[in-house]
Parts: sequence; C-alpha cells; structure tokens
Amino acid sequence: MLAHPTPVIVPDSDEDIDIDRPWQVVVWNDPVNTMSYVVYVFRKLFGYDETKATELMLQVHFEGRAIVSDGPREQAELDCFRLHGHGLWATLEQ
Amino acid sequence: MSHFKTVKDGIRVELTPEEKVFLADVLPLLAGVGASGEDPAADRLNVPVYLDDPAANEEWWRLMGQDLEAGRRADRAVFERVVGGDEPTVITPDEADAFLRVLNQARLALGARFGIDVEADHDELPDHSRQVMDYLGWIQEELTIELMRAL
Repeated sequence: MLAHPTPVIVPDSDEDIDIDRPWQVVVWNDPVNTMSYVVYVFRKLFGYDETKATELMLQVHFEGRAIVSDGPREQAELDCFRLHGHGLWATLEQ
Repeated sequence: MSHFKTVKDGIRVELTPEEKVFLADVLPLLAGVGASGEDPAADRLNVPVYLDDPAANEEWWRLMGQDLEAGRRADRAVFERVVGGDEPTVITPDEADAFLRVLNQARLALGARFGIDVEADHDELPDHSRQVMDYLGWIQEELTIELMRAL
C-alpha cells in the first residue's frame, strides 16, 4: 500500500501501446514463390480451406501483402517462425 | 507423369539418376549460404520480421534463428537421403514436406543470387539459369500438387 499518492502521468493516447491489441502476421509478395506453394502453406499451417487460402494468396500477389493471422504476440511470432521455415516472408505489426 | 505419387505407405519419389545428381547440387548450395549483407541468398532466407523495430527484429532472430537453421539442416538431411538413394523411395508426408521446403529454399536462394527482383526478371535470365529455376519449379509444383491432395 502506498503511503503517499504519487502523481500519475496519463500517456498520450497516440503513443500508448495497447498490449491487448492483437499482433498481425503479414505475408509479403515475392517474385519466386509460386502461387500454388503459397496456397499450400496457408492451408497447411493455418488450416484454411482452399477458397480462403487462395483469396489470401491473391491478395499477396496483387496487393503486395496480406494479413494471414493475428493474435497475441507470442502466437504471432510462432506463426512468423513457421512461415519463415517455409520460405515465406512474414513480418509482425500491431 | 509426376515424379511423386501417393501410395499406401507415403509418397513414392521417382527420379532419374541424372535428376538425382542435379538435385544433389542443391545441398552444398544451401549449406554454403553466406552471411546476411554479403550473400543475397542469405538476405532472402533471413528476412526481417519487425520492419520498424531493429531491436525486436534482432531479438526474434536471436531466439528463433538457431531453431530455424536446425530445421533447415534436418530438411536437407531428408533431401540428401532421397536424392542419394539408388532406388525409388517412399517417404512420409512429413519427409515430403521437408523435401518441398528444400526445393523452395533452393529456388529462393538462386533467385536472389540471379537478381530476380520482380517476376519478369525470370524471363531475362541466361538460358542455363532460367532452365535451373524452371526445373526446380517444375519438381516443386508436382510435389505441391501431390501434397495438396492430402489436405
């Protein structure tokens, strides 16, 4: 228990880091990975059906990137690890 | 006819002796990938995870990098066994995944060293380089299709 109250500095909302906000796993387009391989990896790692995996692959291909999963940081970092293990360029952002 | 066929006990791999000799060259290629910043192949295989946070990126690679490399070595051991055998080989789905990852890593490493920055660069490659990429891509596509059937 505090003996004396201490001043509280309220952080600027723009600078506040929301630890509850999920981390997003982003896969980026590259000129070598094939479309079918990317679909296969999305289906295998995340259990997506063919339609969802194909939509994400096409988003990567035409828009340059797609968010393929999100969640707590630890899970997102693990997803990133598995994607890198399959040669896809995955990054994390919040 | 595909080089890969799902059978009762796994996936049957049939490669000609010439193909095995060619594919075996993938192993020293990947084992010999140099340091990031010096070898384009390393830059491609070890891409940053946190784009705007170098400290977090360094920490991720410190924690995960060794496991990632260990997985790659294990994949190459499977690949070496398949291309080193004399007879057609039946491999498990996990081993087929490992074989597929090695093919993909080889294409990524070569693509980086060949300077493929956009897809159109592939068509501008010298004949031999393009043929190597096309052959590896062909084999990879066949195996991807076969593995996709089991999902």
